[in-house]
Amino acid sequence: MRSKGIYSGLILGVSGALILALLGLIVIEIAHESRQSLDQLGVVPEFSFIDQNGNIFGKEQMMGHLNIVNFFFTSCKGPCPYMNGKVAELYQKYSTTNRVQFVSVSVDPETDSLQVLRNYAARFGVTDERWRFLRGPVEDVQNLTEHGFHLAGELPNLHSTKLILVDQNGTIRGYYDSFDDASLDVLTVHTRALLRGMM
Amino acid sequence: MQEEKLSPKVENFRKWALAATVLTYFLIFVGGLVRVSGAGLGCPDWPKCFGSWIPPFSRQQVPPEFEAGTFNVTLAWIEYINRLIGVIVGVLIAGTALIAIKNFRSEKRILIPSIIAALLVAFQGWYGSVVVGSKLMPHTVSVHLVLALTIVSLLIYVTQTVFYQSTGYNKIDNNTNSFLRKSVLLLWIFAIIQIILGTQVRSEIELILLEFPLLFEHEVLTVIGPVNYMHSIWGIFITLVSFFVAIGLIKRKDRTSYFARIMGTIAVLLLVIQVILGSALEIFGIPAILQVFHLWIASLFIGSLLVLYTDLAYAKGA
Repeated sequence: MRSKGIYSGLILGVSGALILALLGLIVIEIAHESRQSLDQLGVVPEFSFIDQNGNIFGKEQMMGHLNIVNFFFTSCKGPCPYMNGKVAELYQKYSTTNRVQFVSVSVDPETDSLQVLRNYAARFGVTDERWRFLRGPVEDVQNLTEHGFHLAGELPNLHSTKLILVDQNGTIRGYYDSFDDASLDVLTVHTRALLRGMM
Repeated sequence: MQEEKLSPKVENFRKWALAATVLTYFLIFVGGLVRVSGAGLGCPDWPKCFGSWIPPFSRQQVPPEFEAGTFNVTLAWIEYINRLIGVIVGVLIAGTALIAIKNFRSEKRILIPSIIAALLVAFQGWYGSVVVGSKLMPHTVSVHLVLALTIVSLLIYVTQTVFYQSTGYNKIDNNTNSFLRKSVLLLWIFAIIQIILGTQVRSEIELILLEFPLLFEHEVLTVIGPVNYMHSIWGIFITLVSFFVAIGLIKRKDRTSYFARIMGTIAVLLLVIQVILGSALEIFGIPAILQVFHLWIASLFIGSLLVLYTDLAYAKGA
């Protein structure tokens, strides 16, 4: 009588645990999937600019990395310092991997010489190649913002303050508001999910 | 063991108390699941979700005051279902307390813990907003867990007490010595320390991930402080202690109830599973599903000790 009770208790316990495990696995999996399923918002066109250290940097150098792209100019007094301050925070947070790089494109190449870009990079604590500041012909930059990243606004003053996540295949996966911390948290979640997908 | 005929009042209360206990355990499981699936902030506001009582189904339905980009329909609904189960548990516990007030006013052992559980569950509901508001800061998540353990402990005590008082089960069985009860109590204190250490391990992992969110879990384990070792060593120590307690229960067969011996064995089994799960968490880089079970079995272990302690203590007054 007693051993019968033990067995039925055991069967009940084990089957209950299995049902919970199954439920748990399903919930974890669909949550994981929901984070992975990022939209594909277009492909970055070919371009080739020069970074602050004089190296060629273009679409080719973006491939194989996750890229966080933004547009700025060094003499911008308004939103740029705040936006790049946020990028600098991410640059520190993401310092545990070389697979994520930051790409900041100057929309005022007339003023932003390589020396100016180097000084600007130093101001934000850039010490390695994970954050590139790019300079290219103004028409090409205009073309890249409008047709490549679909960002409106007259350059240089009305450039976008969005951060753009580009995956290892050069596909745009998301736009994030650099003035909204919640949006930046989502950027981190998406970057983490894509990084996991790369492994 | 002869079942006595129960009055409908007692039977009704037994059902409520048992349902509240079982469902609270389920909620602890679901709560753990919400955390590991990253759905804790699925709803950025509280008690509503994206400003409405029924979460949006698409990005287009997200009101303008919320950033639509932060909306993830799956995560919002996981968090929302967690809240709904929370409401059901709240209603069950409140119902249990109301019946206790109505029908068991003179039974302080039933009345007082029922009322405290109801007050705590109301507080817990409100505290849910603090957890969300703090963006899931690790210490708030720990307080949320400790509150849940306290509530479920009170419910277990109420359920068990009403079962014993109504069936006379304790009168037939044992009259054990106080040494065993003290051992169980000591084990319970050890277990609470272990749970605190466990929440510290989790807090450290989460704080490291807040600072460096792109680290992989197995990388986090390599930089985590000594608390992880303390948690492991203490876990093995508790398992050994529980083993001796179980042997003590079995040896004193003449004084302990069959139920107490089964409970002692279950407690040891739960701890053995915990040691295996803990090791697997280390080896496999903290897989999410194992985290949920590791925490949940800890709460079951606490419950099993409490049941054991009550079973041993109850016989004393018989």
